[in-house]
Amino acid sequence: MLRNGCRTVLLLAFGLSCGVAHGQMLDARRLGMGGVVTSDVGDYTGSNVAFRAVPKGTGGSGSIPLPLGLIQYLADHPTFDSKDSTFNIYEVANVLLNPPLTIKLWQPDEVTGDISIFVAQDSLQIDLADVKRVIPKDSMKQGGVYHVGGFSKSFGKVFLAMSPLIHVKNELTLSDNLRDALRDAVPFTGNTRYGLTDEARAQAAISFQVGYAFRALYRASQAESQNADPRRNGSTSLYLGAAPKYLLGLAYGDAHSIAGATTGDTLFAGSNPVTIDMDTQTRHAVVGGDGGMGSGIGSDVGAVLYWRNFELGLGLNDFGSQIRWSTTVRRHAYDDSTNEFTTTEVASGERFVSRIPVTTTVNVAKRIGRTTIAGDIVNGDFRTSMHAGAEFWFGMLALRTGLSRDQNKMAQFAGGAGYRLGKIGIDLAIATNSRNIERERGAELSASLSLY
Amino acid sequence: MRRLIPIALLLPLLVGCGNRNLILTVDILSFLDPSSRVVNYNIPIPIPSDTVEVFSDSLNLLQGVSDVTRAVSASLDVAASFDNTSGTATGDLLIYFAAANSATPFTNTPIADIPFQLLAGQVTNVSTHVDASPALAEVLTHDRAKVGLRIIINGTSYPIQGTETLTKLTATVIMKKDL
Repeated sequence: MLRNGCRTVLLLAFGLSCGVAHGQMLDARRLGMGGVVTSDVGDYTGSNVAFRAVPKGTGGSGSIPLPLGLIQYLADHPTFDSKDSTFNIYEVANVLLNPPLTIKLWQPDEVTGDISIFVAQDSLQIDLADVKRVIPKDSMKQGGVYHVGGFSKSFGKVFLAMSPLIHVKNELTLSDNLRDALRDAVPFTGNTRYGLTDEARAQAAISFQVGYAFRALYRASQAESQNADPRRNGSTSLYLGAAPKYLLGLAYGDAHSIAGATTGDTLFAGSNPVTIDMDTQTRHAVVGGDGGMGSGIGSDVGAVLYWRNFELGLGLNDFGSQIRWSTTVRRHAYDDSTNEFTTTEVASGERFVSRIPVTTTVNVAKRIGRTTIAGDIVNGDFRTSMHAGAEFWFGMLALRTGLSRDQNKMAQFAGGAGYRLGKIGIDLAIATNSRNIERERGAELSASLSLY
Repeated sequence: MRRLIPIALLLPLLVGCGNRNLILTVDILSFLDPSSRVVNYNIPIPIPSDTVEVFSDSLNLLQGVSDVTRAVSASLDVAASFDNTSGTATGDLLIYFAAANSATPFTNTPIADIPFQLLAGQVTNVSTHVDASPALAEVLTHDRAKVGLRIIINGTSYPIQGTETLTKLTATVIMKKDL
């Protein structure tokens, strides 16, 4: 029973952690510039709908990743067999957080080491040793909005798009007492509650979108006759885009949980020295099941201004996006006196409106000859990241450098090079990141092809 | 039954990190009734190998530990003090552990055997460290266990009177994950 429970807890923990993997960039050109996004670098996921109206420039129009990391992974990878003596669950977690598509140049030391527990009748001390590294100082937050796959087709200034949309978020917060006991090996004491709260939400929908992107303002420059690219011809241009969307909700679920254990006068006296409390309220709806499908609307809007080879962009994705559901609400409570869970249905068919958080991207760039200097700020659910980078072209050779502030609020550094061969270029980048369960700095080598 | 649920829930975190150990140290003495740690002995006349059963008690251990771990070794630290007011003797202090379903722990082979010598009007402190006891490891990784302490006294001068106090009884079990 407990064995299964342990596996469930582990799977849950790692499933919740998977959201961090979205920070992995497979475009070596963008990665070498610190992950910055501009209208011609790395905007293949549509961070600004107005970019669609900007003429294709010399800076590239697409990227094909080269997953060299798979070779490294096949040569040396952690075991997934929990019976194996070398099984390390934190290494497995890092594979999920950091899919082996790039070559790992260095990684944080693996979480290892002996764990010590001291138990006396009125004393309990847990020294997690190296495992302390995976317990954050603050709450553990994972999640994001993912537009997975889909397709789009442009008809002049109009485009149609359809894509699955997944939004997941989870925030686990340990009480100060519990965090101190686990992180700092502070002994557990009597008459103290050691608790945690968890807020989890997941929703999935299919987005059907019709968009329109166009040039709203234009003042020609003298150089435009030689170069139609507004990024580099010195013209003043304003491009706007808007794409309302219909959201067909497939499933929604959330859970608000509070749990804890309150110690008695003496930690291990009597037959029942701790009082356990657990209370969870869930809300759900699913197509083909309780509540059926949901429906909603939303939009992506954006603008980008070019002035004297300076670019300023603002993109809002999922602006005002919300889905209406008919939900079932249940409460699951644990009664310490009877040692049993009870589930009660609080509501059935209750109307509920879920929101998709807005992702805001503000980017700036300046082109000077064949040099690009750029920066951006991306604000989404739970996290704000910042990127800055530069690209210098010398003939067919490009050198790149950049830095960023990642979702763990750590500074990361990047550099790379590329060589262009006609319509195709090959790019390499080395960049640091903290996409691991230890939230410590590692480095990776990424390779990709650029399409010009 | 639910006494150590918080620890059991933490076990996945504890045992998932490679070929490493979970070191569980239990201060068994703290779980015993304070009155059972002390026994007054009084042997007025010669009796060969007089036996004093200091205590026999049940222990509630870490529920769930054995589900996800396997014990690889265990050690025990024992210390006692004899405040002998009269008489002289030699003897042995014996520690027993047994499974919870045993009628008495004293039918097993003792985990520790500590020889001592008593002199009139003197305090004698004894201690020992029992290393790598598979029997102890087996017993301590179950939810419950029984523990017993027995003193065997071979007198040479009577009456033998005094007080025995158990001052330390600490078990350390080294476990590996077994998810």
